[in-house]
Amino acid sequence: MNFQNKIEANEIIVFADTSLYSKDSIFKCLYWYGDKYHTNVSFADSNTYKISIKPMTDNPLSQEQSEILLQKLGRDLIDFNLRDIVTKETKNIRDLLTAKAFSNGEFDELPPGELSDPVGFNVNEIKND
Amino acid sequence: MKLKMIDATIERKTRKFKDADHYNLKKDGGYYLLPFRFHRITPEKEIIVNEVGDFIIIPTGTYKKIVKRQIDKEIDSELYGDLIANFFISEEIISPLIDVLATRYRTKKLFLNHFTGLHIFVISLRCEHTCHYCQVSRVTQNRDKYDMSIEYIDKGIDIMFRTPNPHVTMEFQGGEALLAFNNIKYAVEKAERIAKEVGKGLTKVICTNLAIVTEEILEYCKEHEILISTSLDGPKNVHDNNRNKPHASSYELTIKGIELARKILGHDRVSALMTTTRLSLDYPIEIVDEYFNLGFQGIFLRNISPYGFALRTEKSKYETDKFVEFYKKALDRVLEYNFQGYNFTEDLARIF
Repeated sequence: MNFQNKIEANEIIVFADTSLYSKDSIFKCLYWYGDKYHTNVSFADSNTYKISIKPMTDNPLSQEQSEILLQKLGRDLIDFNLRDIVTKETKNIRDLLTAKAFSNGEFDELPPGELSDPVGFNVNEIKND
Repeated sequence: MKLKMIDATIERKTRKFKDADHYNLKKDGGYYLLPFRFHRITPEKEIIVNEVGDFIIIPTGTYKKIVKRQIDKEIDSELYGDLIANFFISEEIISPLIDVLATRYRTKKLFLNHFTGLHIFVISLRCEHTCHYCQVSRVTQNRDKYDMSIEYIDKGIDIMFRTPNPHVTMEFQGGEALLAFNNIKYAVEKAERIAKEVGKGLTKVICTNLAIVTEEILEYCKEHEILISTSLDGPKNVHDNNRNKPHASSYELTIKGIELARKILGHDRVSALMTTTRLSLDYPIEIVDEYFNLGFQGIFLRNISPYGFALRTEKSKYETDKFVEFYKKALDRVLEYNFQGYNFTEDLARIF
């Protein structure tokens, strides 16, 4: 089914494909709207999230305000989803980085390649005096 | 025979020098993301910040392109190079340079090794100045109930020595700290005793406007190796306007105090800090000159802390843009002195 983002009775409603948007990113995004808006996430169908925000005050939003808010919500959802992609994709490397940074040498490896000298000495055979 | 010689050459490859092919960027345009954050700053610009705080400001939409692997190493070669060099992306799953990044991360978080080193004791809320920007509530009545009690000092020292940090700094602030000098003496002597017992280093600092300093106080500071940190906002007109002392010139008392403290403690045992008010914004050169002429090794061009009275009085408010303008002029003056061969620093620049 094709769902269209809309402004309806002082409420901003957007739809997001569950295969494109993570649940985490939607909740992280809506968190920042929680101080001024009632927020809600539900399923429009099994493949689509229905996300809605409604101002807590009784003052109705003007048409212009609603349009701006709709645009902002759509953009924020994309931003948080992209952040979520980076966070998940880089989780392992971040863990490794932290482990290496705070280890006491357990994770250190010798640089790749055989150690030799451009002039031709085998540095492993050089004896210290 | 000929073949054998070629083999020998290959064996002699070193870690330092690789064939040009080794450095050739991948042709498929694939790259791996490294951890970094993103924020929109204006409708046209966004910022990406990596794990060690390096950042690149990029046109809006670039972040999305990076994540979607749409940055082409040839078409966007400059950005691609910046992203590689600044650890935003990598051409290998685990770059050999991860150790460099890990070392930088370790250095950045080094403060976690030792935990808190600076411990501030607000020894008195009383003050004989009425500076309009001061963030502490000032109580001018001569009442000991506004001084930190011995019980609280004991507790403060107890907490201070619980830090795993092998060296602690005990800083006395106010109000005017010297109004409670007897309590400072008590705290210093107690802390010195404990520091010796537990084997920790101890630095002591008194923050004071020096208006009520005496030779006797300074002799005590000398004996106990206490550093003095004072306030100097600039030349007389700026300082006296900012730092109001009823029936006296704060500037003259401060200068007299600095001279006396330097004479007794030594030149480098006395430092000064300035606060930038709206009035100060008109005197960037004069303020730097004042510090230079008084023989300080540098200046800390601080913007006002947005706390307490500073927020309530119109006199202290100003816009960030105005401060930046002031800062640039003042920093130019600092640089001028350096070009003339003097070692004169600016602390805000050092921090960033």
